[in-house]
Amino acid sequence: MQYLDTGKWHVIFTLLLVFFILFNIWRAKGKKDMFVRRIPGLNAIDDAIGRATEMGRPVLMVPGLGDLNAISAQAINIFAQVTKTAAQFGTPIRLCCANAAVFTLAQETIRDVYQQQGQIERYDVDSVRFVSDRQFAFAAGVSGMIHREKCAATFFLGEFFAESLIFAETANAVGAIQVAGSTQTVQTPFFIAACDYVLIGDEFYAASAYLTREPVLVGSLVGQDWSKIVVAGLIILGFVTNSVERSQPATQKRVDVDATADTEAYTTWEDVSEPWENGKPVLKRRQDTWLFKQFNPFIEQEDVIVEREQRQPAEAGEGS
Amino acid sequence: MIELIAQAAPEFNPFWGTEPSPEAIWKIFAAIAVGIVFMFLLMRVPTRSRRSIVMTFTFLSGAFYVVYYLWPEPINRGPNDAPSGFVDAGGFFLQDALPKVADIANVLTYLLLCLGIYSLTRIHLGRVVKKQKDWSFSVVLLIAMVAMIAVGYWDYILKEFNDPDKLLTKAENWGGVNYAYDMLFDGLIQQMDAAMFSMIAFFILSAAYRAFRIRSIEATVMMASAILLMVSLMGAVDYQWSEIIKGWTNDQPGNFLNNFNLSEVAGWVKNNLQIPSIRALEFGVGLGALAMGLRIWLGLERGGVSV
Repeated sequence: MQYLDTGKWHVIFTLLLVFFILFNIWRAKGKKDMFVRRIPGLNAIDDAIGRATEMGRPVLMVPGLGDLNAISAQAINIFAQVTKTAAQFGTPIRLCCANAAVFTLAQETIRDVYQQQGQIERYDVDSVRFVSDRQFAFAAGVSGMIHREKCAATFFLGEFFAESLIFAETANAVGAIQVAGSTQTVQTPFFIAACDYVLIGDEFYAASAYLTREPVLVGSLVGQDWSKIVVAGLIILGFVTNSVERSQPATQKRVDVDATADTEAYTTWEDVSEPWENGKPVLKRRQDTWLFKQFNPFIEQEDVIVEREQRQPAEAGEGS
Repeated sequence: MIELIAQAAPEFNPFWGTEPSPEAIWKIFAAIAVGIVFMFLLMRVPTRSRRSIVMTFTFLSGAFYVVYYLWPEPINRGPNDAPSGFVDAGGFFLQDALPKVADIANVLTYLLLCLGIYSLTRIHLGRVVKKQKDWSFSVVLLIAMVAMIAVGYWDYILKEFNDPDKLLTKAENWGGVNYAYDMLFDGLIQQMDAAMFSMIAFFILSAAYRAFRIRSIEATVMMASAILLMVSLMGAVDYQWSEIIKGWTNDQPGNFLNNFNLSEVAGWVKNNLQIPSIRALEFGVGLGALAMGLRIWLGLERGGVSV
């Protein structure tokens, strides 16, 4: 973190959000039946699997193209819930991965689910597949599978990009019930246009709390809501303070001085030489406002000059 | 341990670029052997204990990035600078350690890629051996995979190690392998990628048709705003409409009716409805990712294992 450029508010704000989440997780421990609003896309999971069971066709799950991160881990969590129901009914599943690390996690998780359901004999090693790590090769592979196996229900949850519509339209062509959700907000409209149910924005992260009602997860969800309230409050604060300040005349303006060879950029104030322009007062700019200063501190020239001893080249080579 | 990782290696290790020293080769083999033994032992550990080992590693790796985020970054660091104090030394250490830690993640990722290739091979080889339905496609896949790996590596070795004068950057100096690689990669894969990508245009059309059919208030609003945005991008229509507006306003720039120019209305929809909605979604997604990351880091997320 470069505090000189960003100030301390970023960190304090992040720590505040972390506190909200952890505090609510702690608060929720031991509580049961905490309220989570209805999410239609998640209610549809059982219907979709039931339909696949009746038709004797597989359920397809795709965790997107992303690396192994919070998003794909969350997608696998939801798929574990889907698999739990599928395992009870003996419905075949297909889980297609575009990333080898996600594939390994998915394989372990799905096997664990079958084991915990006492249905390990129903677990098909080939049900979790690595298809390809190239975007359109993956799209072609999954679309082909949807066509060949006539999947009755499809779940597209995770990080999707241009291939989202290829999946959704192909699944629509074979008449599958589709539940989708992408953390890429640009892809959400495509899913809304093509799928039956869509998890929008943070509903994707709320899914595991909604499905399991585990206190830790629901508590975390409440923490997220507290954080959202703070974010909304800050937006209103910014809107009000900026609206007031930017209608006031400027007497000084903040100027960024270009970096030289041995110093980073620093800031300085300049007096406004012409307080009137075309008969109107010169108003404060965005960078002259109080809120901007909080997140973009004023950097004195001496702040960016640090005296350090020089190491011998050999020592420096070892160290770096 | 992390200090060892951060400080031991020189900044540039030309292992693959020059003749590697026997010591370096031994070190690599030893590291691979230790890794295999470690993975073997991890597989033998009961699931419950394996979970705590994985959680410990997750916490340690997460802690590195948390400290990296919170610790003040060194200002104006020169190549031979020595740290000026405790905080500076911490910043130097974290900066030096970051690429090494990232390398560990890269090595793990590529090890896992081998598992992916193994899965692909097992599924398709099994299909060919058992002559299951559409087994011929599996043959094509296996041949393509082996050909691409073999030709790709051969081409890479020729270009990186056997071409000091960089003659192979020009097509007239290519041999059979280079042409084969070019045909497989630029001639086939890239073109097939483009073909898949171009199909999206047709999918957009069919999806839009279904989405914009007037079935509900939401679909009607969607259709109205889509038509508005599309029409605002049609120069002739936009021009004709603005001419009508000019007629109403007598070409007075300050007239309120000028706000009803198509480009103005479309801009208003984009800036005041679309962008704020996307920002709100992004806030939610960001907070969700933070909460999820925290739960994984602190071992609170039990995921599929607990279901």
